[in-house]
Parts: sequence; structure tokens; C-alpha cells
Amino acid sequence: MLLAFRCGFASERVAATAIEANEFPQLAQEMQVWAVPRIVVDGVPQWDGAVPEPEFLRRILSAA
Amino acid sequence: MALLRAEEETRVREWFAELERPVELLVAVGPEETPLPGAGDVDFGAEMMRVCEGLAELGEAVTCRREEEPDGFPRFPAVSIRPEGRDSGVRYDGLPWGYELGSLVGAIVEAGRAEPSLRPESLAALGELDRDLALDVFVTPT
Repeated sequence: MLLAFRCGFASERVAATAIEANEFPQLAQEMQVWAVPRIVVDGVPQWDGAVPEPEFLRRILSAA
Repeated sequence: MALLRAEEETRVREWFAELERPVELLVAVGPEETPLPGAGDVDFGAEMMRVCEGLAELGEAVTCRREEEPDGFPRFPAVSIRPEGRDSGVRYDGLPWGYELGSLVGAIVEAGRAEPSLRPESLAALGELDRDLALDVFVTPT
């Protein structure tokens, strides 16, 4: 989660939101949240789980 | 009930004492979605306020205020973590229970840094972004 927040603070282009899946079950279902952390870029589910910073950046930027 | 155990509170006070700039927590409250069964009769908005006010008490640089259905918040309750009171697009939607309280504390620490803590190559990559990017991370309180 912190990596996403760091990206949000570092770039005015990036909005980073943590979403508590149990409190928003409808959205969680739409985003097919079966495991956490579930990473979604521009409304499109991408992957589950923590990855190192370089891989995180590579994945979010290639999804953008 | 205390927000943190005594040793955790001491550590968080130390982190917050080292913040290099003020951090505002803007708590947005409004109509709440019905959560999954098991949440009981929790008033999520009131609990979010209790959590954020509790954190603000742990550092002079951390402040907290509440707004009813402010613009830019699609879900309630939520908290916007704002370095120097500026909206930098970092938000936590829902109540940061348990382990996730650490994520909110981490966000405050990050917001309080004068310089980003990402690697230089990561900052360079983000600097090349030519459009907005919405990054959502779904979490649970376990």
C-alpha cells in the first residue's frame, strides 16, 4: 500500500487510493477482489500481492 | 479503547515528531454503503473520526478536520492525507482497521517528508507520465 501512496505523493499525475474491500463489497466484487492487496489501474484490475518497487513501477506504467 | 498499544504509540509519536512539514487529515463523511455481514452496528464515519483525531493527538504537525460529503470523494467514510493541507490525490476509503492502521500511519509519515522516498529511477519514470493515472489498492483489515 505504501508504494502506491509514495507514487501519489511523488507525482501530481498519480491519484492513489486504498479501498477497504469489506466496506465496499459491491465495488470489490466489480474489481474481482478475491485476494489482497488487489491493484487496479484506471479501473482495470491488474494483479494481487506485493511486488518490489521497480516491478511495481513497471507494472503500473505499462498498464497506463 | 486505545487506538494503539503503548509501545506502538511511543513509536508513532517519534515518527510524527520527525515530520518535516504539516500533514492534514481531511475526514469525509456521508452516506455509507452496507458493508459485508459481520461489521455489526459500527458507525464507520464516527469511528474514522476517532481514529484520525487519535492520530492527530500523537504529533503537533498532524491535524484533523471533518467535512460532510465534500467534492471529490466517491465513497464514505474516507480520509484524504494532505501534505501542508494540499490535496495530492492520496486517500484511504473506508476505516483502516487493525493492520491497515499502519498504512494510514505510513501515509502520514510519507506526506510529512519534504522529499519523496521513492528511488531516483522511479521518480524519473513517474516524471515521464503524460496523463493522469488512478491507482486503487484494495485491502482488508486482517
